[in-house]
Amino acid sequence: MKECILVVDDDPEIVGAIAIALEREGYEVRRAYDGMAALDQCLDPAVKLLMIDVMMPKLDGLSALMRIRERRNLPVIVLSAKSEDSDKILGLSMGADDYVTKPYNPQELVARVRSQLRRYTLLGDEHAEARRGLLVNGRLSYDTASRILQADGDEIKLTPKEAGILDLLFRNLGRVFPAEEIYRRVWNEDAYSCENTVMVHIRRLREKIELNPKEPDYIKVVWGIGYKMERHEP
Amino acid sequence: MDTKWNGTNPEPGEALERFVGEEVRNAMEDVPVKRRGGKVKAWVSFLAFFLGLTMVLYSAGAIGAQIVWERDLTPRFADDWQETDNFRVEVCAALRDFLIVGAGGELDFYSADYWIENGNGITYYSYPEEVYENPYFWSWKENSATAVQEGRPQVDFGMALEDTSESNLPTATPDEPEKQEPKGPGLQYESDKNLLYFIRCKDGKIYDNCDGKVQNMEKQTLNGFNFYLTFENGKASAVKDGQPIDLYGSGFYQGGSQWFLPGYENYPATDQLDGVTVRMAVRETPSLYYAVDYSTGSRYESSSMNYLYQRVQQIHSFYCQKAAVFAAGILCLFIWFCLRKARGLADAKIASWTLHIWTEIRFVIGVFLFVFTFGSAFVGRVYYLMQDVFYEWDSGYYGNGLDIAMNLLRLFLQNIPALIVLVWFFWLLCNDHRHNPKEARRSLLRPFFRGLRARDLKRPVEKRISRQASLFALAMALVGAVCISLMINLTILSNSSLFTVLLWSIGSLSLVILILAALALSKRQLHLAKDLGRLADQVEAVRGGDLSTPLELPEDADLRQTADSLNDIQAGMKAALEEQTRSERMKVELVSNVSHDIKTPLTSILSYAELLRQEDLEPAAADYARIIDEKAHRLKGMVEDVFEISKAAADQLPVHPERLDLAKLLRQTLADLEEPIRASSLTFKTDLPADPVMIVADGKRLYRVFQNLIDNALRYALEGSRVYFTLKIDSGFAQVSVRNTSRTELPDGVDFTARFVRGDASRTDGGSGLGLSIASSFTQACGGSFRVETLADLFTAVVSFPLA
Repeated sequence: MKECILVVDDDPEIVGAIAIALEREGYEVRRAYDGMAALDQCLDPAVKLLMIDVMMPKLDGLSALMRIRERRNLPVIVLSAKSEDSDKILGLSMGADDYVTKPYNPQELVARVRSQLRRYTLLGDEHAEARRGLLVNGRLSYDTASRILQADGDEIKLTPKEAGILDLLFRNLGRVFPAEEIYRRVWNEDAYSCENTVMVHIRRLREKIELNPKEPDYIKVVWGIGYKMERHEP
Repeated sequence: MDTKWNGTNPEPGEALERFVGEEVRNAMEDVPVKRRGGKVKAWVSFLAFFLGLTMVLYSAGAIGAQIVWERDLTPRFADDWQETDNFRVEVCAALRDFLIVGAGGELDFYSADYWIENGNGITYYSYPEEVYENPYFWSWKENSATAVQEGRPQVDFGMALEDTSESNLPTATPDEPEKQEPKGPGLQYESDKNLLYFIRCKDGKIYDNCDGKVQNMEKQTLNGFNFYLTFENGKASAVKDGQPIDLYGSGFYQGGSQWFLPGYENYPATDQLDGVTVRMAVRETPSLYYAVDYSTGSRYESSSMNYLYQRVQQIHSFYCQKAAVFAAGILCLFIWFCLRKARGLADAKIASWTLHIWTEIRFVIGVFLFVFTFGSAFVGRVYYLMQDVFYEWDSGYYGNGLDIAMNLLRLFLQNIPALIVLVWFFWLLCNDHRHNPKEARRSLLRPFFRGLRARDLKRPVEKRISRQASLFALAMALVGAVCISLMINLTILSNSSLFTVLLWSIGSLSLVILILAALALSKRQLHLAKDLGRLADQVEAVRGGDLSTPLELPEDADLRQTADSLNDIQAGMKAALEEQTRSERMKVELVSNVSHDIKTPLTSILSYAELLRQEDLEPAAADYARIIDEKAHRLKGMVEDVFEISKAAADQLPVHPERLDLAKLLRQTLADLEEPIRASSLTFKTDLPADPVMIVADGKRLYRVFQNLIDNALRYALEGSRVYFTLKIDSGFAQVSVRNTSRTELPDGVDFTARFVRGDASRTDGGSGLGLSIASSFTQACGGSFRVETLADLFTAVVSFPLA
């Protein structure tokens, strides 16, 4: 199964480095060095995923992305040196499925590619899953009945406490829970200096479900208030 | 020498010092010897100034008053009372009386008085103030008015006294029954042994009061008498102290201070005086004699000689005394002049006392002093004086400018002590105003006026000015009305057609000018007010940020130039602001571009370093690859930090403030960083309140702040030491402090929040030197304050936020 990935960046060394990393993981990599070339190559249905830089000659990444979206529906990871929230939001709203800032962590990048491809090729649409009684949030899906969590289709083993925290957060996407409340509801005990305990479990949970536990996409700290699971577009 | 307290010309700093008050002054006494000396000097100087000025004022005022009051100047400097004009008048008057007796006439004091008064100009007679106010003098006046007039020239008491002479004359003639039997000069002369006389009448009759010492009199050897006058054969001759006196001079009587006695070419002795001999002797030092006529009950008190003598002595001692006081005053002033620079301290001290007196009380004291010293007299006097002026003007009577000025001067000089008190009162006022700032003074009415002013200030400036203009117009109208009424009053008072015409023409002309000026001024003020209002609005608009619409005033407006200047400022500000925003934007753009440009190659480096590490390399090469990877990561961190801090510096850091629990945030941060904390050798001692501490801040940014602080502690704290992490609530502020003992010696005087500053200047640690700088700028961006304190090796970072 050699999925084909198109990597576009005006810096050939970066494209080379990404290609090496991806090829080691068994992907076939095609390269392009500007937006116009990306447009051309994207039309090939063999290309299953597009990784594109924003600032490029001839046609910038986001414009190219918009044009590609008119023709094809494939996962797109935007790779950019612009690291601000506003840039990320812009990229995602232009049709990117993920946004990775330079300098990237190669392992994380590969993990994200894998995640996107799995969701695209294996899982099909989430509506079917939702019909099966699953809660879906981005690359995570959670079966409330069986309490089984899947990330990109893989089941993730959780300890009872982790499962309790996840259950609480997953059923209340976007709601912020103070550590005391999490502790009371998961541990069923009076909360007393529980911040560290809760944090330890959350950290472990993150390591299991996040692509980059240091910069979590799903379980987030709301500083000074509590913890929440961020709602992601399917 | 303490030159700081320069009393006459206080320096600005000094005023401040004075305002700061007692504490500072006491604190300044740390230099005791110098200060003590300065203090004594200051008070000596002040005392000298006070005494000197008081004495000089007193003596000069008294002398001035004396000069003004006294119209007869001769006795003032005469050593010998017998040298005065008054003495001549007295002697001549007595001689005249004796000649009347000698000629067989009858002494009619009133007609004689009258005759002598109008016969020449030397009858004006005034008394020093002391005499004038002496009850004894008045009793003497009464006596002489009811009893026999003694040939004394009439006294002129100035303007206010009109009641003495003429009206009383017909009633007071107690001598009338004795007219049938002339008995010589009468008891008045007989009893007065200061003036001995010997009269040989035409008919051979002899009158004398010299107790038979006629011989001695003729020989002019009477004991105690030194002035002899003899009238014989129509000529008079006089001897004083054995020296003959030239009585007749050129031989023509011309008035003035000449001896007024018969024997001149133009005033010869008539044949009525043929065979009349009169001898007179005057005592060198007269004394009081007293006699009562038991047939009539009339009393005769002393004589004019005694009185004159006493008066000259009195005037002498008066001048001597006042001159001594004046000299003492000058001496004091000299002492003050030598120490004048030291007086400031005393002045300031006095000012600090007077500071506590309310302005209203000062005013009341001032009015009280003025009215109760010479205010009421002053008003009355002015009224009389005006009446006199008009009367004199009309009648052509002695309307002499000097006289009027003298009269005015008298009003001020008649009450010297009051004048001095007033002078010192004003000095105190001035001293107070010079040393105490206006704000420090106390006033009961000030809050009221402040309230009025505050209310007034709420109106737009043009309204205020137009109100002031209308107030001004009202005041002008009032002044005009007062002027008109005054003019009418004066017209009624004066009866003089010339005066009336003059007054009315000048008055109405100036009134018309006044009204026209007031009208013009008011109109102009209204225009100015309107322009000023627009200008004020424009200033407010510019302040509010309107930099595009300039203010257009008419060419001829008073404020045109100002408006143009304001427009220039506006344009300049606009240009500067545009320039500034452009340069800020460019700066952030530059940093953003640079960081992007760095990130691109950095991405390659990191990627290939990572790939390299995955290769199977020789140990040394693997180590190199690891180092490259590590340093590239550090560079990545620094680039991100620089980017963020430049945004924070340009105020372009996006901040999303929300209400959050700072204690919870700290617990979360500590929990988040639990692993590196546990991995370190440090012990974290936390002291966080269990209750929520609500503040408003951006949680993410604040997390970075505390992350950086903890990171800083982990990086730079002494191994195995304790880090104290506390949250305290203090007067509405939440204060987080992170305390640790530094591993290395902390340099002195370093701003740790400045960029790229590290405790260890060699920069061999892993930090970017931006951690505290970011913490500081993020804290400020969130609305808190950040500071770093170092004490020896103890490093403390304090973050404080206002409680929400």
